[in-house]
Amino acid sequence: MKPQHRMLRILPAVAVAAILAGSGPATAANDSNAQPAPGLAPPSGDVGRVPLGELVEAPETNIGAEITNPVAGQPQAVAEGQQLFMQMNCASCHGYDAKGGMGPDLTGKYWRYGGTPAAIYNSIYEGRPQGMPAWGKALPPQAIWLVVAYIQSLGGAFPAEAYQASLQGDRPGEQVAPELSFEAGLSGLAPSTPQGQGSPNANPQPPSGSGQR
Amino acid sequence: MVKQAITLGLWLLAAGAVPAIAQPETNAAATSPPAQQQAGPNSATGATANFAPNDPPGEWHRQARDYANTRYSSLDKINTGNVAQLRMAWSFSDGINAGHEGAPLVIGDTMYIVTPFPNNAYALDLSKPGAPIKWTYTPDPTPMAIGKACCDTVNRGAAYANGKLIYNLLDNHTVAVDAKTGKEVWRIKMGNVEDGQTMTMAPFVVGNKVLVGNSGGEMGKIGWIAALDVDSGKELWRAYSTGPDSIVKIGADFKPFYDWMKGKDLGVSTWPPNMWKHGAGAVWAWISYDPDLNLIYYGTSNPGPRVPAQRPGDNLWTSAVFARDLDTGTAKWAYQFTPHDQWDYDGVNENVLIDLPINGQARKVLVHFDRNAYAYTIDRTNGEVLVAAPFAYQNWSKGIDMKTGRPIVDPAMEPKPDVKLAHVCPPDIGGKDWQPSAFSPRTGLIYAGIFNICMDVTDHPVAFIPGTPYDGMEMTREPAPGGHWGEFMAWNPATGKKAWSINEQFMTMSGAIATAGDLVFYGTADGWFRAVDARTGKVLWSQKLSSGVISQPMTFLGPDGRQYVAAYTGVGGAAMVSASMAGFPARGSTLYVFSINGESPSSGPGMIATAGAAEPAAIPPEATSRRR
Repeated sequence: MKPQHRMLRILPAVAVAAILAGSGPATAANDSNAQPAPGLAPPSGDVGRVPLGELVEAPETNIGAEITNPVAGQPQAVAEGQQLFMQMNCASCHGYDAKGGMGPDLTGKYWRYGGTPAAIYNSIYEGRPQGMPAWGKALPPQAIWLVVAYIQSLGGAFPAEAYQASLQGDRPGEQVAPELSFEAGLSGLAPSTPQGQGSPNANPQPPSGSGQR
Repeated sequence: MVKQAITLGLWLLAAGAVPAIAQPETNAAATSPPAQQQAGPNSATGATANFAPNDPPGEWHRQARDYANTRYSSLDKINTGNVAQLRMAWSFSDGINAGHEGAPLVIGDTMYIVTPFPNNAYALDLSKPGAPIKWTYTPDPTPMAIGKACCDTVNRGAAYANGKLIYNLLDNHTVAVDAKTGKEVWRIKMGNVEDGQTMTMAPFVVGNKVLVGNSGGEMGKIGWIAALDVDSGKELWRAYSTGPDSIVKIGADFKPFYDWMKGKDLGVSTWPPNMWKHGAGAVWAWISYDPDLNLIYYGTSNPGPRVPAQRPGDNLWTSAVFARDLDTGTAKWAYQFTPHDQWDYDGVNENVLIDLPINGQARKVLVHFDRNAYAYTIDRTNGEVLVAAPFAYQNWSKGIDMKTGRPIVDPAMEPKPDVKLAHVCPPDIGGKDWQPSAFSPRTGLIYAGIFNICMDVTDHPVAFIPGTPYDGMEMTREPAPGGHWGEFMAWNPATGKKAWSINEQFMTMSGAIATAGDLVFYGTADGWFRAVDARTGKVLWSQKLSSGVISQPMTFLGPDGRQYVAAYTGVGGAAMVSASMAGFPARGSTLYVFSINGESPSSGPGMIATAGAAEPAAIPPEATSRRR
């Protein structure tokens, strides 16, 4: 056994830590378009939609939420991302197949903190409350995007442009049942659906997500 | 599927003997057993145990029931003659869908339960119909602990002492709760969770000392055991599992039996420079105590990192058992089961303290079923291995050298970095994991759920990054020859042979209990809970439950005088390595309590006053005061 020789191959954490990320992630522009905060008095009228909290997903008004991964789909980036996934001990938590272990499955459609590239970037950068370390100080942005590229290559992540769909639990090609929309007025109802008779059968599909936790 | 084996004469005798008859109502409950029970007349081994501290027979004050870790109950109202009539009396869900590895406690008229993370505690009033909640204690550990725990957010239960319920939170706090009120008495931080350290083991209480240890052997955290004061939580001593003798608490009176464990600072010199600092040896399971020798016994976890190529040497004192003085924590002897462990063979499994004749000579021993698939009968006064025999399928070794106590490793079964090694047996979770065995003085045998599993393993050299796994083992598991994953066995600790065994398709990762009714109880990962004839291995009763059983059964007398048997469902923990098996159950959170014919004050007609009923059969529970 020649362990010393082997260990040389390993990217020491200290060296990685030395590569400071400098600025925050390009996507963390959370301060724009702040919503009106409800006052102490009961609000009168429509106060507008309140964005979901960041821990669920970045606010939907956050323009950065739909940013794309600059290296997504590049084979070299995916390979390097996988290397980092191993070297940073991500695999030990999330599984060498990324199907979960101590940490969540990264191959399915269930994303507690969002499954778009920007959301995954933020989870890596900031860490998450249930034990996910914050890698923002140890990894430069380009390295985090490599890891995101690897995770995207596993098939479970949502494309950046599917940000709204990911929030809603929508899947490509699914049926959409007509629903009363006040923005559209009553004409938003399908003409064949008499009011008060319940909505037409939405023909819901069984959930395709797996490994919910 | 019962495989009969061995010692025909004794078993025929036993089978022909009159089965145990239910004792008169007043008997078993009222009298304490003598401290040192006599071996049963039909004992296979003549083994006895010290059942100190002789808790009331109808109660259950600590996970192992006694200091010796026998998990033997002298109750016999439920016995081989009537166990077929066992039915559910009542159930209780704590709402936490994670692995349930503990047993409830019963003290007086109250049952105490501790949940997996977030480690809530409940007191249930057994004196009232429905066993209503008396109080709830919610310690609110940090959610960070969820992702730092290697193997699910499990908790292996509480201990009761001096009017307090004492247990560990996943985020490394030990808490003591007033058993009457549910109010926190003390709370002490034992370690840093951000480093990857957690606590899952059940505290072990002797006198005024609470013994606790850490989990985190996969995270590069140095292992330790500590003694706390029962009444204040103040730390009295702490001993580490690796490092210089000063912190391992090895002194002049440390006398290991074998020469290769003698020398100065072996916890440093058996490692590459400084690697002992992240060498693990976590203390995450059971502790036993011999009141006559005043020694505690416990095992240490696998070394870190799990990739052996990174840490040439024996890696003392990982995968080992320590005997320590209770009062000072100083080590008296140690024995390393698996030097330079290469397969994740933790040495933490329970040590059952019994006394028995071996080759005609009376010996005080500890019996230990190691993850490495060997069962050891060790002289607990000096650490000499008397019997070492495999109890589960294994191919990593060619046996144990009884002169040196060292295993003879098969070089072909040593993992090499980045090379897939197929069909190593047992796998990381061992021939048996933490699930504790039980001893019956009536049969002289020890009963344990064991595994029949192998693994394909690829080692990936790892860097130490605090708060992340220091691990590197990529594994898949498959059944060993036979195709079944589980087995429940009766073991003869004098001969090192099975008396009988039962194959189970799914993992048997539940603890066992033995009773004076000549019954043994255990559960399976697919949710069967079974009662077995302790002498013959015949399954006398089975009940399918809502989730897998990986908990520890227990038995108690209710205030109504009935004997009950209780077990939690809630699959999880290491049993999740088999989660892809067809038929593997969903998570669960429910305690089931059984009695003969399901009779109890918690079921039957007339449980609530209805119009026309002159006199309700039972009064609805009074409003109970809940803390939250």
